Amino acid sequence: MSHRRVEAAPAWWALPPLVLQCLFLNGSAPLTWPTWGLVACVVFKLGECRRPFDRRLVALLQVLSAGLLAAQLQGLLASVLQLLAVLLALGGLLAHELGDLVSVRALLGRSLKLLLAALPLALVLFLFVPRIPPLWTTDLGPTRGAVTGLSPDLDPLSIVSLAQVDASAARVMVPEGDLPGEVYWRVLVHDQFDGRRWRHRDRSSSSRPRSPLVRDAVASQWWVVEPSAIRAVPWDGAALPTSSDQWITPEGELLVEGASRQRRSYRLQSQKGLHRWQQRVPLVQDLQLPPQGLSRLRQLAASWRDLPTGDARLRAAESWFRGQPFRYSLQPGAVSDLDAFLFDRQVGFCGHYAGALAALMRAADVPARVVSGYQGGRRVDPLSGSPFIDLRQSDAHAWVEVWLDGVGWHQVDPTTWISSVSTDSRLEAAPAGTVTGTGTQPVRWWTWLQWQWWGLDMAWTRWWLSFDQTSQQAWLRSFMGEQRHWWGLMALAMAGPVLLLSLWLLRGARLWRLAALLPFGPWREQPLERSLRVLGRLGVEPERGETFPQLCRRASQVCPDRAPLLLAMAEHQQLLVHAPLTGAQRRQHRRAWAQIHRQLLIQSGRIRS
Amino acid sequence: MPSADITLGLRSLYIIPSRFGALWLASAGLLLLVAIQTGSNSTLLLGFVLLAVMLLAMHLTHDSLQGLRLCCGRPAPVFAGETAMYPVLLESDQRRPRLQCRLRGEQRVVCDQIPLGGMSIALPWSPSSRGWQQPPQVQIETVAPLGLFICWSRWQPNESQLIWPRRRPGPVGESNPSTVGHGLEEWHDLRPVRKGERQAVIDWSGAAKGRPLQAKVFTDPVDLGPILEPAPGVPTERALEHLADRIWRLHQRDESYGLRCGSITLVAAKGVRHRDACLEALATQ
Repeated sequence: MSHRRVEAAPAWWALPPLVLQCLFLNGSAPLTWPTWGLVACVVFKLGECRRPFDRRLVALLQVLSAGLLAAQLQGLLASVLQLLAVLLALGGLLAHELGDLVSVRALLGRSLKLLLAALPLALVLFLFVPRIPPLWTTDLGPTRGAVTGLSPDLDPLSIVSLAQVDASAARVMVPEGDLPGEVYWRVLVHDQFDGRRWRHRDRSSSSRPRSPLVRDAVASQWWVVEPSAIRAVPWDGAALPTSSDQWITPEGELLVEGASRQRRSYRLQSQKGLHRWQQRVPLVQDLQLPPQGLSRLRQLAASWRDLPTGDARLRAAESWFRGQPFRYSLQPGAVSDLDAFLFDRQVGFCGHYAGALAALMRAADVPARVVSGYQGGRRVDPLSGSPFIDLRQSDAHAWVEVWLDGVGWHQVDPTTWISSVSTDSRLEAAPAGTVTGTGTQPVRWWTWLQWQWWGLDMAWTRWWLSFDQTSQQAWLRSFMGEQRHWWGLMALAMAGPVLLLSLWLLRGARLWRLAALLPFGPWREQPLERSLRVLGRLGVEPERGETFPQLCRRASQVCPDRAPLLLAMAEHQQLLVHAPLTGAQRRQHRRAWAQIHRQLLIQSGRIRS
Repeated sequence: MPSADITLGLRSLYIIPSRFGALWLASAGLLLLVAIQTGSNSTLLLGFVLLAVMLLAMHLTHDSLQGLRLCCGRPAPVFAGETAMYPVLLESDQRRPRLQCRLRGEQRVVCDQIPLGGMSIALPWSPSSRGWQQPPQVQIETVAPLGLFICWSRWQPNESQLIWPRRRPGPVGESNPSTVGHGLEEWHDLRPVRKGERQAVIDWSGAAKGRPLQAKVFTDPVDLGPILEPAPGVPTERALEHLADRIWRLHQRDESYGLRCGSITLVAAKGVRHRDACLEALATQ
């Protein structure tokens, strides 16, 4: 391979991992366009660069692109691709100075060794330098973009046919004993009703309430949520946030700081019992109905107002629903209003029933609201270990919360009251709130493969992405105690010894075997140097102007018993240095030379056989 | 302080981040900022990896030159105004990556690799005046292996280079030899001593200076050429330049010539040594 090709090869090879990741960026994220621009610059610059500085600049731009991509794509596969790109970029950087001395393969080997040599110091800084929160608050996430998921507006009456999207929505790793029996993963609370739609009030812009943080808590729920159009993320309604960038709204939505259109991961602390949001006294808007219309609904609800408690009115509604010939269908057809659905059509899916019950309850003077989220999920036991629950977009569900005196906000799922399932519905009439096991349905092989990958991905998320500011503080506290002021100094104190260790390795005095990991310096001994040392032990030093074969011949005269070995060593060394060998031939001669070298060492008593 | 050689070490090597190194640091800072804003662990680690590579590169670049020994070679004389090549020997006990070497203010020479043992390089420079001239400082520098730091050293070699006067065609004074010199002085070249050689023809003065024993090759008295001298009325420097050109031409044509310049008189002869002696006499006038 020519010098120029060797020099340019790693830089070109670094492009596919970068370009491939660019395809998966969301076009409306602020960081996306700089990343695309940077990668485009790399491509154009690589095509026309002539000067050494240009080639180095390309390598730096590639590393920078990988860093920006790492900020946006944090999955396992993306991380592997980013690592590959960095490795190749460093290879490209080394190629400029060493391209004519080594092959591409050796170049990449040296790049890997350089990365490994830099890693200990980088890890010390990573672990010990105290993290700081974002310097300014901005939603770096995209504002638009094609993502699937729940909608802030729940308008089931307009939906003729509900498409069942099987895309992944979220994955959660929950300890074995903490799996709740009734699995409703709440996301959005819709409390604004205009007679047709249930709207979600955007609370992300409001001031962030102080949520109780669980200090020193061991996080027990690890969540990974796919890109979504909304900022709220799924949770079980009972867990506690573990980080300052998570908070729970008074309505019971969990918000996580960060771009919603990127994949997010967060951790929660499981707990039993009532949460604060469940006890929040209902507001006026929780009873709000449109001033006109829905006459039949109002009439029905009015008949329940005489009942003394909200609980009794709810039971009356349940018995009314159960008594009607409602049918569950994903293709209900459009209806004009709730009256038409409740009293004429009586065909719908969860959104219809949740919206109708909440409206009925409000009309019966019981505060009510619709909650959308996910129901159930599928437990996956990957080969890699920790089981997790896979939530799909098809698991999206809507239910109702009503305010019952003495109880608080009480969860009701009117869909479970419907016993009849339309034949055109693809949804099984499975009882709500169950996590289905892997053995209950046949699993396609690609789904199985996807689950295995997700298992690895979850492990990656759990052990790598979850090490955030809170985790680091807890870790530092356990490591260094409460002396926060000394943490930075301790970080420097830790970096010092590691740097010294690296330097020691660099000098290669005693740990030359370890130091051989490093790409440069006297420890990178070639066969010639090592052969000369063996000959030096035999008392044969090279003279001025003497070639290596001549030296070996002289050594064979000094030590006639080792003459065959010495002459063979000279031959292999000469071939390795001067002959145009293929890779296989080079390996073969290198092995032969190594064997001879070892035998000479054994004979000189340096090592045991 | 001029010296015959120098071994590069901590006292003689200097290192600072290169322009690319400054960009590298700025990129690390940018990655750390992005990591802080987005909370991305991978970006944070990559930012720290860049910083760690920077720290390692400082030592790797320093190691590229540390231990290298620079020695003066024997510089050949050259005419003023022409590019002189100053030889420098690089001695190394290990292979070293690419480095650049130059005499300060002159063109740089790139060595792609220093092999085990070392190598010799010739550094170009353009002396402007004649005589024994000391070259500018030798500057040796490298950015290998990563280009993040530039490590350099400066050394003043003590070996001077003889610079003959500039060659410039022009009038020179000529005179025929007034007296024929002593026969034993009319030699123009040297050859190895043969067996049974007369002692009178042996170059004893050369042997006394440490040169091997050689016999003189004598000039045929018939071939005696003109004695060159500075043209009257021409400024001294210009006259010397004319003489240098004439001597060079006569040597090219393999003709005999002598030189009388100031207090120095060289009898007519020919050959490389005679030419060099004449030009040195002009250079040191």
